[in-house]
Amino acid sequence: MGELATEKHVQYILSVEKRKDDFISVAMEYLRMNGAYWGLTTLDLLGKLDAIDVDEVVSWIMKCQHESGGFGGNIGHDPHILYTLSAVQVLALFDKLNVLDVEKVTNYIAGLQNEDGSFSGDEWGEVDTRFSYIAICCLSILHHLNKINVEKAVSYIVSCKNLDGGFGCTPGGESHAGQIFCCVGALAITGSLHHIDKDLLGWWLCERQVKAGGLNGRPEKLPDVCYSWWVLSSLIMIDRVHWISKEKLVKFILDCQDTENGGISDRPDDAVDVYHTYFGVAGLSLLEYPGLKAIDPAYALPVDVVNKIFFGR
Amino acid sequence: MKKKEGSSYPESKPVDLLHQFEHILEADPLIDEVGFIHPSQFAKLTEEADDATDIPTSECPSFWNRDHKFGVSTLVLLPLYNAAKLAFMAAIGEYKRLGPDVVVSGDGLESEVMKHSRALLLLSPDFGTAWNSRKLIVSKKQDLSIFMDELLLSELVLSYSPKSDHAWSHRRWVIKSVTGKCSTLQEILRKESELVEKIAERSKMNYRAWNHRCWLVSYMTRERVLQELKKSKNWAGLHVADNCCFHYRRQLMLRILKDSSCKQENASAGYAIEIYKLWKEELHWNETLIKQYIGREALWLHRRFLSLCWMKQFVTDVNDVSCNSEQKISISNDFGFFISNELQLLHSCSSVPNSDFDDFKAQATFSASYMLWLTKQSSEFLSKDSEHQEKLTAGNLKTLLSKVCPERSSLWDSLMG
Repeated sequence: MGELATEKHVQYILSVEKRKDDFISVAMEYLRMNGAYWGLTTLDLLGKLDAIDVDEVVSWIMKCQHESGGFGGNIGHDPHILYTLSAVQVLALFDKLNVLDVEKVTNYIAGLQNEDGSFSGDEWGEVDTRFSYIAICCLSILHHLNKINVEKAVSYIVSCKNLDGGFGCTPGGESHAGQIFCCVGALAITGSLHHIDKDLLGWWLCERQVKAGGLNGRPEKLPDVCYSWWVLSSLIMIDRVHWISKEKLVKFILDCQDTENGGISDRPDDAVDVYHTYFGVAGLSLLEYPGLKAIDPAYALPVDVVNKIFFGR
Repeated sequence: MKKKEGSSYPESKPVDLLHQFEHILEADPLIDEVGFIHPSQFAKLTEEADDATDIPTSECPSFWNRDHKFGVSTLVLLPLYNAAKLAFMAAIGEYKRLGPDVVVSGDGLESEVMKHSRALLLLSPDFGTAWNSRKLIVSKKQDLSIFMDELLLSELVLSYSPKSDHAWSHRRWVIKSVTGKCSTLQEILRKESELVEKIAERSKMNYRAWNHRCWLVSYMTRERVLQELKKSKNWAGLHVADNCCFHYRRQLMLRILKDSSCKQENASAGYAIEIYKLWKEELHWNETLIKQYIGREALWLHRRFLSLCWMKQFVTDVNDVSCNSEQKISISNDFGFFISNELQLLHSCSSVPNSDFDDFKAQATFSASYMLWLTKQSSEFLSKDSEHQEKLTAGNLKTLLSKVCPERSSLWDSLMG
């Protein structure tokens, strides 16, 4: 089994930003804010965030903010709750939350809560438990959870629970590890984990580990490095992580590295991208891989960043 | 002679490329499939679909269009995208600067936004701002046929990007917008359902697609739900590894269950019997598939659901005074029969004839963990049935599971002490 190619991954992440000549990366510009979060959090976990020009990033982020308080995925793009969380998380990484007009951002998020407790992603009204997590996580980071009806938010999430113990996008939606992370994360942040049957959900989650050691996100799917994050963080939050084989999972993630040019892919020998590089490194961090900063399973930020937010240092 | 476009060269100016691209879309509103193709394949495509009267192809075309299939050369994607984005951002910027109330429909700015957003979305399907701009303009008009055009554009985007979150979400926005304003909602739902099935055929276990189909259920009439159950059965039987379709069936079945519980007070026993039959039939069908397709996780998970609901639904009814006594007895007898049947199924599926066969090992694992899952979830029912409780003692299952699935030993240890 190889080791984590830390230096290569740092170089890879720094290089991605400079790519302007291929269609695939240019056509993804609408989610650059998410990309910034994935790339920069990875650098921080690897202990290399100082390679970044903070002022440049912060001023770009603030150019993505709208009058409404929400952030777009890039300059000139419409605001959405998905990008608002990434913006807040990146600012938190750099300890720059003070540049925000907190009232404005939190009003934007609180304004997206619906009567039934659910959250829309933006003014166009698509509802998803992902947006519930984002709203709760973001407001918690900004110390403004009191701006929403937490009780209703929790009961909406609980209404998306399936008989298999998992959660979907909306009531009746199929259980999916990504959605489960969002729901468990939101319940963890609001102190509502008692709504979860931990044995039942833990059972479903640990059935995601396939023979090769990797995790899939749904039954009968191939393993994918990103679920190292979604499944693992959920198992940790409900205290059932000992039900999977950690050693096998570490090996699977390390096998997905491009040891020559850096970066991590979804499965061994596939093409790498920033998204999977982040989830691979974050997964290894949850698995306590040596040399990595610890990451918080609910806030998806390094533990020292979370501590600074809640304990002042 | 069939229509044909495509004589520009990659070195054409980006703006010209965009015009050409938009012109093709404008000229052939029936285009139902878009794809990105390496130009070397254009000649082959033409050859395959050729007829004698065809004109000769240029050496390096940017676009290819015939029989309403539209191919875009991979060589022009980047300049084309840049031009489309520039044009779109300029148009929507101007539109927003003036304000939607000032812009008059006929003055061309709206159609500019619509034209360029369409071009952009065919190149970058999750460019949310472009979808939003269309919602802004379409919602101002409140014209059913314009709403329906949005479904067509979304379908075209899905033809090459079947997982596009925004394209699916745009459909839901359209349906929510027209609900209550049009008489053809059930017809629209039927077509939506068919679209998901069509896309699911070539994009396996597509979560976004099936999630959309599940979302439709709450808008369906009971008749529609029953038809969907009938229709999706065939598909599920041909795609036994696709958990999405089985989940869809679960939603349909739960909807029927929910409808009946709402009507409980004046519902006849006939209603309950109908559901009873539905469940029985599904359980029987599932067992047939399990025996036919060895080691399929989705089938066993479906059985967990069916059995748990069956117990919750019909075993509680044993104590329900509102049921007539004849029915009570038959259902109560069925419970014992049911558990015996499950034990028999476990028995027939848990023998591994040759340890080299992974499928049989998987089948044994799934069957034993199914049984364990069921006993854990239905302990309240089992505790009343000492005879079967004995047969289901954890010891036997633990021995079996530790043998066929040692990699999850810590789970088995935690669950069975």
